[in-house]
Amino acid sequence: MPWNRRAVKSLDGFFTMGLLSILRKLRSSPEKELRILLLGLDNAGKTTLLKSLASEDIAHITPTQGFNIKSVQSEGFKLNVWDIGGQRKIRPYWRNYFENTDVLIYVIDSADRKRLEETGHELEELLMEEKLANVPLLVYANKQDLMHALPASEIAECLGLHTIKDRPWQIQACSATEGEGVKDGMEWVCKNVKKK
Amino acid sequence: MRLQKFLLRYFPPGIALEYSQRGQVKTKHIDLLSLTPRTDIAELAEAIANKEPLVTKNVVNQLVESLSKLQAKLYDSNKHLFYKYKTLKAHLLPLTNVAIDKQGQRCITGSYDRTCKLWDIDSGQEVHTLEGHRNVVYAVSFNQPFCDKILTGSFDKTARLWSSETGECYHTLWGHSAEVVSVQFNPQSHLVATASMDNTARLYYMVTGQDVAVLEGHTREVVSLHFSNSGQQIITGSFDGTIGIWDTRTAKREGLLVGHSEEISNCLYNFDCSLIASSSMDKTAKIWDPRTMSCLTTITGHQDEILDIAFDYKGQRLATASGDATAMVWDVHSNCNVVAVMQGHSEEVSKVCFSPAGNQLLTASLDQTARLWNAETGICSQVLSGHKDDVFSCCFSYSGHVIITASKDNTCRIWR
Repeated sequence: MPWNRRAVKSLDGFFTMGLLSILRKLRSSPEKELRILLLGLDNAGKTTLLKSLASEDIAHITPTQGFNIKSVQSEGFKLNVWDIGGQRKIRPYWRNYFENTDVLIYVIDSADRKRLEETGHELEELLMEEKLANVPLLVYANKQDLMHALPASEIAECLGLHTIKDRPWQIQACSATEGEGVKDGMEWVCKNVKKK
Repeated sequence: MRLQKFLLRYFPPGIALEYSQRGQVKTKHIDLLSLTPRTDIAELAEAIANKEPLVTKNVVNQLVESLSKLQAKLYDSNKHLFYKYKTLKAHLLPLTNVAIDKQGQRCITGSYDRTCKLWDIDSGQEVHTLEGHRNVVYAVSFNQPFCDKILTGSFDKTARLWSSETGECYHTLWGHSAEVVSVQFNPQSHLVATASMDNTARLYYMVTGQDVAVLEGHTREVVSLHFSNSGQQIITGSFDGTIGIWDTRTAKREGLLVGHSEEISNCLYNFDCSLIASSSMDKTAKIWDPRTMSCLTTITGHQDEILDIAFDYKGQRLATASGDATAMVWDVHSNCNVVAVMQGHSEEVSKVCFSPAGNQLLTASLDQTARLWNAETGICSQVLSGHKDDVFSCCFSYSGHVIITASKDNTCRIWR
C-alpha cells in the first residue's frame, strides 16, 4: 500500500508543492489563510528565517535562485510564506509575486552597514508599488546575534520607517539562526492583517 | 476506386488507406487500438482485407509489411534506456511547463523569468527567447502536429501567439482579468483556448488574435482545458469541483459534470473522445460519458490528492499521480481495476504521462527525480536523477525517444 504522507507532512510542519499547488496558493486563499511575501537583499537571511519558522534544519542554506514556499500554522492562521531570492539580477522579478499579498515581510542584515542604503532604497521602491498599497509591513532587523549588528531602532531611523503613513508597520529585532524574535514578529503579522 | 498507398500512424497504431475516386484523392482511417507486440500480423491483415474492398489480394503482402512496422514500434520503445543528454541552463529563475514538437527536434520551456525559450534538442542550443510577457510564463504549447506556432499563457493575464520559426510575436491575447494557466490550440489549428484564474476560459481566432468567446459559468478558477478531436467541443476543469463541456461554435455550455467534492486538478478526453477522465483534490478520479454526462466509474485508492492524470494513446489505460507519493495505472475498460501501483518516490508525484507505445509511465516528483516505470507491472525501470530541486514537469516526444524534464532548479534536462 502507498505509505501515508499525511503523517510525514505533520512531522515536517510544512508542505512543499508542485505547480498545481502553487496555483492554489496564488489566490482566493480561504479565510484564516494568509499570503506572506518575504523580501530583502541577498544574504539578509530570508530562507533561514523561513526554515526557522518551519522548525527545520538551517545548517545548509544556499543562495535562493528562485523561490521557496512553506506553510506554517500560527495563531490559528495558516501562513503561506513565499521566500523570494534577493540577488540583484533577480530583484526585478520580485513583482511576479506581488498579487494578493496580505503581509509584506522585509528582512535586513543588521550587521551589513555597507548595504543599509541599498536595502533602504529597495524597500522604498516596494512601498511605492501599487499592488502592495496598504499592505502591512513587518521589517525584521535580522542577525542581532552578530557583534556589529545595529539595533532595530537605529535601522528604523536609517530607513525612515517613521514616515510611513499608508499602512501599519513594525520593526522587529531578531536572530533567525538562534530563533529569537521571530515568533514575536509573526504574532504582530497575525494581529495586523487587513481583511481577515 | 483504386488504392494508392498505405499511410501509417504509429501512436496509437493505425493505418490510413489513400485512394483515388473519380480523380480525387481520399483517405480512409482504420484504428488498430488492439494491436500489441503479440498480435498475429498475417491474421490481422487477412481480417482487414476481408473487410475493406480497397485492400485487394495483391496488396496484402504490402499490408503485412506495414503492419509489421507498426508492431515493431510497439516493441522497441519498451527496452530503451535513457541517459542525460543535455542540461539546458539559460533560465534565470525556476521553470514551469514544457512541451516538445511532434518531430522531437525542438522543445519549449516556460519560466518565472517571464520568458519562454525554444531549444534545439540535438544541439542543446537556444533557438529563440520569446520575450514580451510581463510576468511568469506558466503554460506553453505547440500547435500539433504542425508545430510552426507557439502559444504561451502568463501570470500577466495575457496569452501570446508566436512563430516558432522566427520567434516573432504575432498576437497578444487580451481579455482575462487574472493569470492564464492553461492554453491549447484546437486540432485544426484555427482557434486557441485559454483558461484563467478569473473563473473563465476564452477562445480566440488564431490568425487574427481576435476574441471569439468567453466561456462563463465556473464559480472558481479554471485550471485545465482540452479540445475534442473535432474541435467542436472543449472541456474545462475548475477549482469549483466541476468539469464544463462547451460547444466551441456557440460558446454555450452543453453540460456540467458534477460529482467531485473538491478542486479539479486535470480533465482529459481519451483518444476517440468517447470518454472524459477527471482528477480531483478529493483523492478520486472519475470516468465520464460525455454523451449522457454521467459518471461511469469513480477511481478510489489514493490516500492523498490526485494531482494529474493521463490516458495512454490508445485510451485503454489511465494513470493517476498523487500527493501520496505514488502513481497508479488503471484499466479503463474493466471498470477501472488497478493494473499497477508505482511506489518509490519519496515526495508528491505532480505529473504523469505514458510513453507513446503505452508500456512505460513517466512521473515527475518533488523528490527531485523523474522516474520511468513498467506500466503493466509497476516496476521502476529507471530513476532520472540529477535535478537539484523539485521536478515540475516532464514529457515524452512523439517517437518516445526523448524525455524532457523541467525543474525548480532553473534547468531543463534532455534525456535520450
